[in-house]
Amino acid sequence: MLVLDNLTKSYGGRTVLSGLSHSFRGGEFVAIMGESGVGKSTLLNIIAGLDAPTSGQVIVDGTPMSALDDDAATLLRRTRMGFIFQAFHVLPHLTLRQNVALPLLLNRTPDARADEMLEAVGLKGRGADFPRQLSGGELQRVAIARALVHRPALLLADEPTGNLDPETAGGILDLLRRETRQSGAGAIMVTHSHAAAAMADQVLLLTRSGLKLA
Amino acid sequence: MKPPLPPAPPRAPGTWVLLASLAALVVASFASLPLQLAAFFTPEAVTSMREFLAGFTPPETTTPFLARTLTALWETLAMSLVGTLLAVLGGLVLALPAAGRAGRIARSLTRALLNVLRSIPELVWAALLLVAAGLGPFAGTLALAAHTSGVLGRLFADALENVEPLPEASLRTNGAAALAAFLYATLPQALPQMLSYTLYRWENNIRAAAVLGVVGAGGLGQMLKYHLSLFQMQSAATVVVAMLLLVAAVDAASFALRRLLTR
Repeated sequence: MLVLDNLTKSYGGRTVLSGLSHSFRGGEFVAIMGESGVGKSTLLNIIAGLDAPTSGQVIVDGTPMSALDDDAATLLRRTRMGFIFQAFHVLPHLTLRQNVALPLLLNRTPDARADEMLEAVGLKGRGADFPRQLSGGELQRVAIARALVHRPALLLADEPTGNLDPETAGGILDLLRRETRQSGAGAIMVTHSHAAAAMADQVLLLTRSGLKLA
Repeated sequence: MKPPLPPAPPRAPGTWVLLASLAALVVASFASLPLQLAAFFTPEAVTSMREFLAGFTPPETTTPFLARTLTALWETLAMSLVGTLLAVLGGLVLALPAAGRAGRIARSLTRALLNVLRSIPELVWAALLLVAAGLGPFAGTLALAAHTSGVLGRLFADALENVEPLPEASLRTNGAAALAAFLYATLPQALPQMLSYTLYRWENNIRAAAVLGVVGAGGLGQMLKYHLSLFQMQSAATVVVAMLLLVAAVDAASFALRRLLTR
């Protein structure tokens, strides 16, 4: 359960988010749409605890993020959240398996599930390959496997299909939906794509006046 | 048929002023120095040069002398190796704050320190350290380490600053601690370049170590100075050949290793 309570974010004199409140249910797949510059990525960063709101708070499972110090927020992200980015951010010097196993390694847990996840995203037997051998769609599959390998309760995705052609994007969205459903994870996906938003349980529109149902 | 190239952009007047200034500087440099190149080619100069060079042949090849040369060669090699190793450690320690990882003020202060370390040549460091550490290879090793720390610290810092920052940012986002994110994402990207810089500086240091001996810092340089000052040219010739062989061997080894690293 994730609650945004009257969030405001300003940079200098410019207010990006103003009085934003919303509750996300666990296991729900939510798409957030909105114009460029309206603060979608800022909102995602605040939810992840990477950026602090100017006022208001983010409450994760009853715990306000503002009550956590840097180490505790890092631990929360590592154990409870997974991230997918538009530009994949796969580490170029590690094999696919090592990339997928990284969250398990950081959590000091056995890494056998890395192979399961590679198989789940259609990259069975490619664990020893390096990212330079993959296409953009395949790299995003690796990123999805990495984001879900440690069974996070919440997946945050920032334009996950922004760098992909429509056909590949469709495959990635299907995969994302299937894998989050199977693992029971909730997801918040920021996107410009109506096609991507269409597969969400709920579509929210972020405007200057707040979040509302699209 | 290829389409014609677009016209070249017009040169700014400042470019012409800069080029003219550089040309004037070069002409003024030659005019202000009393270079007497013709003096090299007078019959007297050619004769005395021929006699001087003839004094170097044949090089000294007695077994005891070759053994002493080998010991000095090893001392020079060891100075360059230990000096470079210490410089890598010093450079790494200074490169992290110099790459801005401890804030802007620390970055500026550390970069200023690195400037000082590398602005002072090895010979001056050796002259200073000979007072503190005494004659011998220890002072030479420290001199190499001090100067090379400044060079490698700056190069390492630039390498760390220039790597793709997103992998580290993505690991931090995914909940990796700062040290883990640096070790998994940033350092591996910069490491081949850092190793390549280190090998290149080792090549430089082997030459510098040979020269440092001239001011009393041990090794082949000290041996060369000793025999030259006594006009024992055949012994000096052996030392020079040993220096050439050592530098060539280290250059070749370093080149091969760098190729291996950047493949």
